[in-house]
Amino acid sequence: MKKILLFASALLLTVSAEAQIKRPQPQPGPMPTVNVQKPQEFTLKNGLKVMVVEDHKLPRVSYMLTIDTPPYAEGAKAGVSSLTSAVVGNGTAKTSKEKFNDEIDFLGASVNFWNTGASASGLSKYSSRLLELMAEGSLSPLFSQEEFDKSKQQAIEGLKADEKSVSSVAGRVTNALLFGTNHPNGEFVTEQTLNNVTLADVKQNYTSYFVPETAYLVVVGDVKFKDVKKQVEKLFKDWKKASAPVAKYAEPNDVAKTQVDFVDMPNAVQSEISLVNTVNLKLTDKDYFAGLIANQILGGGGEGRLFLNLREAHGWTYGAYSSLGSGKYTSKFTSSASVRNVVTDSAVVEFVNELQKIRTQPVTQAELDLAKAKYIGNFVMEIQKPGTIASFALRTKTQSLPADFYENYIKNIQAVTVADVQRVANKFFKKDNQRIVIVGKGSDVAGTLDRLGYPVNYYDRFANPVEKPVFKKAAPAGVTSATVIENHVKAIGGEKKLKEVKSLSVVSKGSMQGMELTMTQKQTNKGQSMMVINGMGMDLMKQVVTPTMGYASMQGQREDLKGDALKDAQASAKMFDELEDLKNAASFQLTGIENFNGEEAYVLKKDKETVYYSVASGLKIAASETMEAQGQTIEMTSTYSDYKEVKGIKVAHTSSLPLAPGMSVEFKVSEVKVNEGVTDADFK
Amino acid sequence: MRKSLTALASALLLSSVAVAQKVEFEEYTLDNGLHVVLHQDKSAPVVVTSVMYHVGAKDENPERTGFAHFFEHLLFEGTENIERGEWFKLVTSNGGHNNANTSDDRTYYYEVFPSNNLELAIWMESDRLLQPIINQIGVDTQNEVVKEEKRLRVDNSPYGNWITEVKKNLFKKHPYRWAPIGSMDHLDAATLDEFQAFNKKFYVPNNAVLVIAGDIEFAKTKDLIQKYFGVIKKGAAVPRVNIQEDPITKTIHATAEDANIQIPMYITAYRTPSMKTRDARVLDMISSYLSGGKSSPMQKKIVDEKKMALQLFAFNYAQEDYGMYLIAGLPMGDTTREALQKEIDAEITKLQTELISDRDYQKLQNDFENRYVSQNSDLEGLAENLASNYLLYGDINLINEEIEIYRSITREEIRDVAKKYLQSNSRLLLDYVPAKEDSAK
Repeated sequence: MKKILLFASALLLTVSAEAQIKRPQPQPGPMPTVNVQKPQEFTLKNGLKVMVVEDHKLPRVSYMLTIDTPPYAEGAKAGVSSLTSAVVGNGTAKTSKEKFNDEIDFLGASVNFWNTGASASGLSKYSSRLLELMAEGSLSPLFSQEEFDKSKQQAIEGLKADEKSVSSVAGRVTNALLFGTNHPNGEFVTEQTLNNVTLADVKQNYTSYFVPETAYLVVVGDVKFKDVKKQVEKLFKDWKKASAPVAKYAEPNDVAKTQVDFVDMPNAVQSEISLVNTVNLKLTDKDYFAGLIANQILGGGGEGRLFLNLREAHGWTYGAYSSLGSGKYTSKFTSSASVRNVVTDSAVVEFVNELQKIRTQPVTQAELDLAKAKYIGNFVMEIQKPGTIASFALRTKTQSLPADFYENYIKNIQAVTVADVQRVANKFFKKDNQRIVIVGKGSDVAGTLDRLGYPVNYYDRFANPVEKPVFKKAAPAGVTSATVIENHVKAIGGEKKLKEVKSLSVVSKGSMQGMELTMTQKQTNKGQSMMVINGMGMDLMKQVVTPTMGYASMQGQREDLKGDALKDAQASAKMFDELEDLKNAASFQLTGIENFNGEEAYVLKKDKETVYYSVASGLKIAASETMEAQGQTIEMTSTYSDYKEVKGIKVAHTSSLPLAPGMSVEFKVSEVKVNEGVTDADFK
Repeated sequence: MRKSLTALASALLLSSVAVAQKVEFEEYTLDNGLHVVLHQDKSAPVVVTSVMYHVGAKDENPERTGFAHFFEHLLFEGTENIERGEWFKLVTSNGGHNNANTSDDRTYYYEVFPSNNLELAIWMESDRLLQPIINQIGVDTQNEVVKEEKRLRVDNSPYGNWITEVKKNLFKKHPYRWAPIGSMDHLDAATLDEFQAFNKKFYVPNNAVLVIAGDIEFAKTKDLIQKYFGVIKKGAAVPRVNIQEDPITKTIHATAEDANIQIPMYITAYRTPSMKTRDARVLDMISSYLSGGKSSPMQKKIVDEKKMALQLFAFNYAQEDYGMYLIAGLPMGDTTREALQKEIDAEITKLQTELISDRDYQKLQNDFENRYVSQNSDLEGLAENLASNYLLYGDINLINEEIEIYRSITREEIRDVAKKYLQSNSRLLLDYVPAKEDSAK
């Protein structure tokens, strides 16, 4: 009775509610007109560019100083820039740390500093004092040894706090492998590199990179341009003109052939999957807008293909997305999701399918329209907000955009065609040159990765290559497939008892979609087997097998089993599979001990079948079978638990049976009869 | 003119600021009990449409925890007029975005659209209330999704479970004892009938508030609301939870393990009164005093000077029936729980016995005024504040008057409230520690 294959779709009945009201979807009104505003600007002699957006709606102000620094690798001193960020702003050459912080808090304001910028925000009645504090903290920071030591200690503790975080490890390893650890995007901070950093390094970092040549100060809020100008000129005029050093480093190369890179974290309850390749896409490139749209269709949100496939169709993840980096430096294209361990390989297959599809088949006009609508809608809603005006103006400068970039934004989005999307998908979504980085629980996941058909490499949590670890335990000496099967037979009553059983009748109850199901199974030791599932007073599904014939019927439609299907069904029409298995135990392969639903189990494999026997009790706890359906390999797993004794034999009183892929129903036994209640008439 | 006004305002202890940013709104109730709040802001062509339902984790059957949050997923599955899987597409294809969230007290849904799609938003939200499709396909799909959400946010996330552990230990009777994510076993065991019954009980117009904020015209908006929401039938009165906890008279000690962490978190937690009370507001101020900003006593003394903690924070977890006052710290190096607790307790004792300084008091007032100006600065936040002031606090005018409560809190009250609620014998001391290495691997 292993092979129960129902086609549950026939049973998926929607319970209809009260009379529904049909109401057509309203049509949108005319699109609001947009008007791209520009901030007021001025530039200081030292290079600092200032942009001011007056916004008098609320009595508040925000200042943001951004230094557009080219990326650089920190090498053996990785962490120097984050330590610089931690140290600056804690007091100044003129004001003690205590007084400085106290005044910021007193104003109810927020003022922050980092190695390439600063920000301040608060009530506009304190606007000039806030700018003074920000200028003082930025331009004459205090570098105290004590602050440095403390920051370093905290950074080290912070690394420790994150050590077991699956997602931080995934982020670190993914970038390290993709860009290489010598690249600014690929290097990472460790306790050792932090220990290499001195206070002198921090000062040097500040001196080199905190410079006005490529600095921008953006002011938004309830202030007047002329007041701001006067004050900025006074406060920042002595900031010495200088530009930051430009580092050289090798451009990373994508892998020649797609590969899987796996990191084992035994505490993981989900696998972090990222499929990545590098990307160079400037905002001024002609493919920029097509890239935005292609990524949006693939994985830009809750209506992207990845989300609809992995979350909505399969329920494997809370979310699956893609992101296409852009800008003047090398970035990456990522498709990613956190999925539960057992579906890791299936999820990778779906990711690859989606990448393949968007590269080889044109997207539909509807998908294209939807993606455009999202970008245009967002643009329309955002463009008039003061914060957006400022950030667009800043980006126009840092990304060297043409002055009319945002004026033409909607037009350029509209111009993207179906063919453009396919072309850029092939250009940027490098399905055949990706790293598929997976961080997860090796004992659950690693065994399934080989069948993906890509080379599999193993790394530690710091992206160092390692030998393939041993994820499952070997069975102890003396345990063989025969002893495992014997143990199960013993545990359910012993060979002698089982052979005395002439017939077995089991009635179980379960429910699907709120519909009560009753399953009746009857079997004899003469190769007769009958199973019927009844719901809402009808026989929904029935299967009868005898040594001479077999048939299955779905809701009254009968179909005779013939040929191999009949032979298969007859071969599995046994009351106790293991009695038969005992005779050819050698045909099963004992692959070792694995964890199955939190229980250690011996794993026996034969062809497409895998059976799990509890190490502790000897009882069979699950059986699964892989099958091909619609071109996909799926695994159908039944589980057995709550064994109770009936007339000397033990019968699982709870079982979960896969009635269709991804849909299991739990049945609880309500009646077991041994050697009674079964006649030949049951098998007609 | 503006300048002299500002000067005058600061002289008069800033009382004119409230006038400067008064939030104007209109409110009324439909015949079916749906409360409506409208706010006009024409500065950008955006409209926020939101519905807050007065149902949260605390309204759940103790044998079916996680239902309220589950609904936040289920009600995106489709309606009689919106096919399964179409919700997000409809929003996006019309240039908008949307989301929802669930707390112990309420469930909140919203859409943000360019203002030419106001009618679409009203149509969608009203259809969700009038005729959602709740079937087994949706339940099965979202069951898996919710499990992944729990794995992502709780089981695989460092410190992901600490609030849940606090709640479990701080509440013995009240449904705040479980977390909104709920029990996966309960969700697995739930039948379709139960989901439909939950919908019928809580998702009724008389248990909700509709807020529409942004670039709208009142008359036209009201017509649309009547057209789409007006047809929905009033539901039965919704029962409210009324469960009292026994006072905590002896310190509760508890330990919880987390496999994803290396550094323990030491938590001190107190049960506090409803967020509707004045005392809860005082506790907000106490949190800000103790750990807000680098110059607060906890940051300055314990983190910065004594270097005993990597992080330390205090906050008042405001909720409808009871609140929680939480202080949590990650110890630095080999600092023990006892040593850290001693420092924390010293600060609390000081607060209970001495008045905070005038300067600290003025600092608190500045801090709360800044928060007040900021909290309604974005339209999405404003819509949610209007909804929760009406639905949970029971006074929509708090949107403009809340600041007055904070302004009227005195130094003496801060001392007295600290004394009343932050007692050492009526609290939970929770050690949230790394799980022991799994030897089986």
